[in-house]
Amino acid sequence: MSSDKKKHDFILELDNVSFSYERELNLIEDLKLGIGEADFTGLLGANGSGKSTILKLLAGILKPAGGSVSLWGKPMTSLRHRDRAKLLSYLPQVLDMRVPFGVGELASMGLYPYGTPPELTVAEALGMVGLSEKRDTLITNLSGGERRRAYIAMTLLQGAGILLLDEPLANLDIKFQVELIRLLRELNSTRKISIVMALHDVNIAFQFDNIILIKEGRVIGTGTPENVLNEELLKKAFDIEVSVHRLEEGSFITY
Amino acid sequence: MKTRVFILITAVAGIFGFALLAGPRPINPFAMSGLDREILLFVRLPRLVVAALMGGGLGASGAVLQGVLRNPLADPYILGLSSGAALGAAAGIVLGVSFFGALTVPLLAFAGAIGTGLLVGLMGWRRGGIWPERLLLAGIGVGFMLSAVLMLFLSVSSNEGLRRAILWIFGDLGMSDWKLIPYGALLIGLGLAIAQRRAKALNTLMLGDDLSHSLGFSPRKETALLFVSVGLMTAASVALGGMIGFIGLLMPHIMRFFVGTDNRILLPASALGGGALLVVADLIGRTVMSPTELPAGMVTALLGAPYFLYLLRRRDVIG
Repeated sequence: MSSDKKKHDFILELDNVSFSYERELNLIEDLKLGIGEADFTGLLGANGSGKSTILKLLAGILKPAGGSVSLWGKPMTSLRHRDRAKLLSYLPQVLDMRVPFGVGELASMGLYPYGTPPELTVAEALGMVGLSEKRDTLITNLSGGERRRAYIAMTLLQGAGILLLDEPLANLDIKFQVELIRLLRELNSTRKISIVMALHDVNIAFQFDNIILIKEGRVIGTGTPENVLNEELLKKAFDIEVSVHRLEEGSFITY
Repeated sequence: MKTRVFILITAVAGIFGFALLAGPRPINPFAMSGLDREILLFVRLPRLVVAALMGGGLGASGAVLQGVLRNPLADPYILGLSSGAALGAAAGIVLGVSFFGALTVPLLAFAGAIGTGLLVGLMGWRRGGIWPERLLLAGIGVGFMLSAVLMLFLSVSSNEGLRRAILWIFGDLGMSDWKLIPYGALLIGLGLAIAQRRAKALNTLMLGDDLSHSLGFSPRKETALLFVSVGLMTAASVALGGMIGFIGLLMPHIMRFFVGTDNRILLPASALGGGALLVVADLIGRTVMSPTELPAGMVTALLGAPYFLYLLRRRDVIG
């Protein structure tokens, strides 16, 4: 296991976590991993490797059978739901597209954990994700990329410093993928939001600051893409021979 | 939006006023005789309040349930509560039991509905909360079972009670009584208050359990609480005057066309709309073929369904 992560305090951490769905073998055993402040982390692994489960454990949606999850040094279970929501937000892979809320209406649900709204307004949040013009449009009438951005505006209003996203790029064409990554990058650098994204596309993984490589519920590599995304570890993770090409403009794999 | 809410409230108030004065014997509010006053206070007003409470409870329960179950076809009766109520009431009527006088049948109906609600809730309960899919299937299963028992019960009874029991099941506002109103108002008011306080949580539940959790709610507990609110409103409504179709299923959809999806506005709007529709249906039911009364539940569907279909043709379908 390679690790070149500098010693620093994690703001979200799984410590010796084990978990299994009902009547199944342990999917995850003794898992340790941490997310730092203003991280831009990709959780990379093959289908069924446990990425979604790990994200849900980090989000507090799933309760570990053993070990602990801590948020800003406090056990997740000790936090009230509302207080947790101000620190941590999670977006599932599939976003509802049947319920006809307006874009502004949806985004303003991010204010629900607050009694008095924080500084950011709904208009500002929609501006940041490029949906200012669509405030009154129904989310049922948006494209996949726009809908994803509407939900990101919601998490911005939530004001959480950590954003967990489960495969947000799935089913988006390349333009929307690039736009979404740029948007998340910008929020990461300007608002210091820690982004943790589950993904399975190795070529996209090269754009992250940190990679956590997962196989069968275990971390098999963690660190910068240069250190983790090598031929040996990728073969282990995805069970296929790949060649890694490193160019000045960026790295990519072929197979 | 404010204008639309204002129009809605004004329209509902107008309907209530009109329903009090119109009928087989129209009343002029500026020249009331002693008899007019009697009719107004002791016949029409209690009947109007009962219809408004029942319709309001059903409209709001439907809106809550469609949100919780994330299913536009959910109807408060789908959870089997009405079958439980019908069985309780039919047993009371056919067997002719009477331990609380006029309150016996409504009380048995309420007990039947709440008992069913507890059973369905228990079956929908798992790992610290209620799961919508389990709840829905448990409700359908229990409902079928109770309906079968009701059919068995009615097919072996042959006295006059049978006709009354069937009439009651299909919605009978004729027996509305001032004595029932405080209980009905209390239960339906309590259910509506719970739902209204949890309207934000309901909005998030419509996006899915995981997002509801992320936005700071406990989806399992919120679902359980909202189910309690639906149970109270539906049980009280059935106990007041039997089963009224249409309102619980379609009034929330009609109101979504007007006020949108946000449950903080949709719940009270569905309650107002449901109340007004049942009041109108009852007015028509007791007027057009007077002195024969048509069942309010039938008139509700005859009035509401074409209007709903008209809206459906004109606007985008929700769901």
